[in-house]
Amino acid sequence: MPTSCHGALRELRAEVQFSLALAGNPNVGKSSIFNRLTGMGVATANYPGKTVEVQLAETRFGDRTIGIIDLPGTYALGGISEDQWVARQALLDGRPDVVILVLDATNLARNLYLGLQILDLGVPMVVALNIVDQAKARGIQVHTERLAEILGSPVVPTVATRGLGLDRLMARAVESASRPAPLPPRLRYSVDVETAIAKLEGALASRADLPYDLSPRAVALLLLEGDPEVGAWLAGAEGADDLVRLRDEMVGVLRDLRGEDAGLLLARERHGLAGLIAAEVERREPRRSLVADRLWRLTTAPLTGLPLLGLVLAGIFGFLFYVGDWLSTGLSAVWTAVASPVIRWPFHALFGDGLLSRTLLWGFDAGINAMLAVGIPYVLTFYVLLALLEDTGYLNAVAFLTDQVMHKMGLHGRAVIPLVAGAGCSVPAIMGTRVLGSMRERVIASTLVVLTPCSARTAVILGAVSLTAGWKPALAIYAITFTLALLTGIGMHRLMPGRGTGLVMEMFPFRRPGALAILKKTWYRFRDFTVVATPIVLGGSIILGGLYETGLLWKLAVPLRPIMEGWLGIPAVAGLTLIVAILRKELALQLLITLAMVQYGPQASSLLSFMRPDQIVVYALVNTIYVPCVATIAILGRELGWRRAALISTFTVVLALLVGGAARGVLALFHA
Amino acid sequence: MRLPHSSPLTDEVLEDCLQALYRLEGQGRPATAGEVAVFARITPAIASQALDNLQTRGLVQNGQPGCPSLTGDGRRQAAGILRRHRLSERLFADILGLPWDRVHDEAMRFEHALTPEAEARLATLLNNPETCPHGGPIPDLDGRLVPPASRPLDQVVAGTRVWVRQIVEEETTFLRYLASLGLLPGAELWVEEVAPFGGPLLVQVGDARYALGREVAAKILVREERSAPARQRIRSRRRGRHGAGPEDPVKGD
Repeated sequence: MPTSCHGALRELRAEVQFSLALAGNPNVGKSSIFNRLTGMGVATANYPGKTVEVQLAETRFGDRTIGIIDLPGTYALGGISEDQWVARQALLDGRPDVVILVLDATNLARNLYLGLQILDLGVPMVVALNIVDQAKARGIQVHTERLAEILGSPVVPTVATRGLGLDRLMARAVESASRPAPLPPRLRYSVDVETAIAKLEGALASRADLPYDLSPRAVALLLLEGDPEVGAWLAGAEGADDLVRLRDEMVGVLRDLRGEDAGLLLARERHGLAGLIAAEVERREPRRSLVADRLWRLTTAPLTGLPLLGLVLAGIFGFLFYVGDWLSTGLSAVWTAVASPVIRWPFHALFGDGLLSRTLLWGFDAGINAMLAVGIPYVLTFYVLLALLEDTGYLNAVAFLTDQVMHKMGLHGRAVIPLVAGAGCSVPAIMGTRVLGSMRERVIASTLVVLTPCSARTAVILGAVSLTAGWKPALAIYAITFTLALLTGIGMHRLMPGRGTGLVMEMFPFRRPGALAILKKTWYRFRDFTVVATPIVLGGSIILGGLYETGLLWKLAVPLRPIMEGWLGIPAVAGLTLIVAILRKELALQLLITLAMVQYGPQASSLLSFMRPDQIVVYALVNTIYVPCVATIAILGRELGWRRAALISTFTVVLALLVGGAARGVLALFHA
Repeated sequence: MRLPHSSPLTDEVLEDCLQALYRLEGQGRPATAGEVAVFARITPAIASQALDNLQTRGLVQNGQPGCPSLTGDGRRQAAGILRRHRLSERLFADILGLPWDRVHDEAMRFEHALTPEAEARLATLLNNPETCPHGGPIPDLDGRLVPPASRPLDQVVAGTRVWVRQIVEEETTFLRYLASLGLLPGAELWVEEVAPFGGPLLVQVGDARYALGREVAAKILVREERSAPARQRIRSRRRGRHGAGPEDPVKGD
């Protein structure tokens, strides 16, 4: 579970001899380097109120213990977006001995912008010039010695996905950290900007209270840029009135001279400088575009993009269906045959065959079995696919293709990422809506996530409907849910005040995903899922077991009769399982069979012996739409506030009942 | 404009002052002696003298006190000077290959020496460019300033090379976010793909490709490059330290 960033960073510094931070643009292979350098003992930390995480790990190199801080991938450091803020803050709080800047050798100019900001902060830097293999394939050669000379920092070419150059990188990083800080490189902005910096620097030099022990030049630059935090420090600093005036004057002078806000002006000059450096150190052979690149463009081309997307979605669904089902059956069988008897024995020995023993076994036997039957097969499989989609860069193509549909719902293309994740489990998907800018977007996207059938609901649709009524009704349930989600999104966009923000997203070239990176990413996600889900599954199962074993469950069925039998037309016992399925959605089906066997006798092990196919369809439809499980409600409450969580939950119950009743009516027409 | 040699008011200084007034008026900023002095790189005292001198010649009028403005004649002359300045910049950048950030200073010297005949030949040699290397419009022979047509990026068809002129957005955070990606005024974009039915655009900036939603693209005003010689495109990537600043009116060009 994430811990506080301040504390975690301080702890890390106390424990290790030497610490380094990894910085870089998104998707430049930074996490590949992190994964290669570290083992499984990775902790995540976040700042209060912020959702972008920093990863921390310890590793050994030679005879030293080294702490590694993995900053979020960003294009810049600063206060304009959460990831940029967190990256800068962790860099300042963590005070690493050296920053490893991971550069994409195929896109040096844009990547160097971040490097210039790091140098401006006065932090020692070692450059990992990554993806040099792809740069070479594109006819780009980088003169590493010249780059090192210009930046005043060692430069090591690497291919992180294959682990090439990482030993040298670490050696250089350790070397830089143990050497006294090198002279800052002679990188200068235009005369106007340098004059303003020099004036502020001079005024700051006499102060002993500069924030984060930054150099006067670093503080001067941050003040000119309008950095909110350093600005706040200045406003609160003692005897700094002259400094405030000087800052305002310099910002004014720059605006007069260059007709532009100082922050934008600095951004412009940094880009200019980065472009100059890139032009100086790289040699490009004119080369026809790579076949791989041209093929990859087909994923976003209008004619081929959407059909490819259809194929990919069908592939995901098929893979989940076959592999998930195969794993689910296999693991369940193993559990029942091997683990279940072993677990039952101590309970029987301790508590006999009484109420307590049977109730606890609902949790520790059946509950864990359910985790194995759904959690690992469907969620784990889904996470492998999700990591694959992310690491190849295809998910961004999906975001590009769906932007327009998302726009109609007040979202933009990037919202598709949590929605896709929602097909695995709603809990991490709702956490994933953090990538969206505003609360309005998060509320809309979270509602859509809730309406997206997760793997537990998929298990019920596949297990109940496709086995009894065939694949067409199963597909119809998906189509109905999809349409409802779309209409809900459009409706919310119309009704909620405010407006959507636009899509601005980098499109990455195809990257061959590394097996290690995929497995680690899958593991971290699955671990988070397990931590959230396990107590709820165990607790929910035990409560359910208690209700069942004491017979209280049947009493609950009585008030439900009019709604279930009268409105939805399904047996009250089925309605009962719908209610308790709020504890664990996939349990609805299993419980239905169990309860039916109690009520109707052993022949009820087949659903069809006591429900018609149309009733099963209505049952699965309502189960799919109405309130997600308690874990989802909890995460909605935590992420969006309890009032919104209650509203979303109530909405889905009403929607499920309306759609269920309507479906009953329509199906009755077919029946008659 | 012949003056005794002892006076600091040379033709060059007077022409620079006219040019300064013209540029400042174009930006809608008050043309004070101080502002004029900054551009012409002279002391404010000499700038005041120069403005008085230009007033007696009927090129400048004193509308409000301390706020001189160009007369019709003055504007025509100033446009001619700006035309020679920007043509000279093109010469230095495109033909002589001087770095982007140096052409302004060179042109400040060179522009005064051009005779009308040389100016006409230069324009022909350069293939009658519409803008200076920084993107500023070049006045035509009659002194008319034809602003290059700009339009929102979302109205550009796929396969077009454009230059960002302006980003119409009130929020600084959004502006700065775009800036951190390299999307700022002066940046060169290649519109690679425009998704049909109001979908997003795919643009290339340098080596990076970005997807921009239509509503974002509508806020980015761009200018299409019509007569860009290949040389200039290459050089634009190696812009000087002053960065990509075509809309950098007083100092940068």
